[in-house]
Amino acid sequence: MVRNKTLLVLFRLVLGGLFVYAGIVKVLDPLDFAQNIRNYRLVGQSLSFLAAIILPWLEILAGLALAAGVWTRASALVISALLGFFIVLTLVTIVRGLDVDCGCFGALSRKSGFGVILEDLGMLYMGLCLLFAHERRD
Amino acid sequence: MSETRKTIRQALAIGALSVLVGASVHFSLVRRFVQGDFRDTFLSQEEYPGIRLITTREAEDLWAAGEAVVFDARPERPFREGHVPGARSLPAVESGGKLPAGVWELARGKTLVVYCEGGDCQSSLALAKRLHDEGFRDIRVMTGGWEEWKKAGLPEEKGDGQE
Repeated sequence: MVRNKTLLVLFRLVLGGLFVYAGIVKVLDPLDFAQNIRNYRLVGQSLSFLAAIILPWLEILAGLALAAGVWTRASALVISALLGFFIVLTLVTIVRGLDVDCGCFGALSRKSGFGVILEDLGMLYMGLCLLFAHERRD
Repeated sequence: MSETRKTIRQALAIGALSVLVGASVHFSLVRRFVQGDFRDTFLSQEEYPGIRLITTREAEDLWAAGEAVVFDARPERPFREGHVPGARSLPAVESGGKLPAGVWELARGKTLVVYCEGGDCQSSLALAKRLHDEGFRDIRVMTGGWEEWKKAGLPEEKGDGQE
């Protein structure tokens, strides 16, 4: 795990910024995002809709908190949990052989696959570094 | 231990705040949902396997390659004021009746691109469903609609276009 203070600040800004961006592009078109969730064929219509209303804000608020250094551990926990969920979701999608858009970065989204998992793992590493670095400091 | 509990409490607070902000910002959408909207307007892939949502860029690629027939689901007036070059006007409100002959003649496997105003406009989705019901099996809905196409500075055509 990374302990270098400068690197941890960089992780906070990069990870927080990415989540804020990912959240904003979804907030701009909630119905499109709801359809993206629906395409994963895991939850029904209503849950897709509710997730599309709430999830982007979870990304934005946790991302903002992380980037700003407010409630750092809690926001790192939220973000790491989300990434863990996204990784499992993508794996399940690959196993099921579904051809879906990941729905992760709006227009920059691409097919859900191993590339997406690698990116998520990279981000999860940053999230866990922040989560445990702050645990030690506290 | 208490630090862990504090972290979990704060994480839950972020979650609760997200629910509040999401419900407030998208209040009109939530109200429509409560009133029964969106229970079937999202396209279920099981029911409509031939319909896909695409980005403006994907639509542009299809249009530029001349691979798709483009349909504009907006009313005739905004269509005349500007539309995707080569697009055919097929207002969703008028699609309850018989489809125009030009549409009937198309091969059912032909790639179709449909769009409406943009934002959360639903008429392109409605048209896509209608075309799907008629047997078309490769329908792409350009979700950004005319708004995004124009914003991207892509070519536009004015007038009645192709009937």
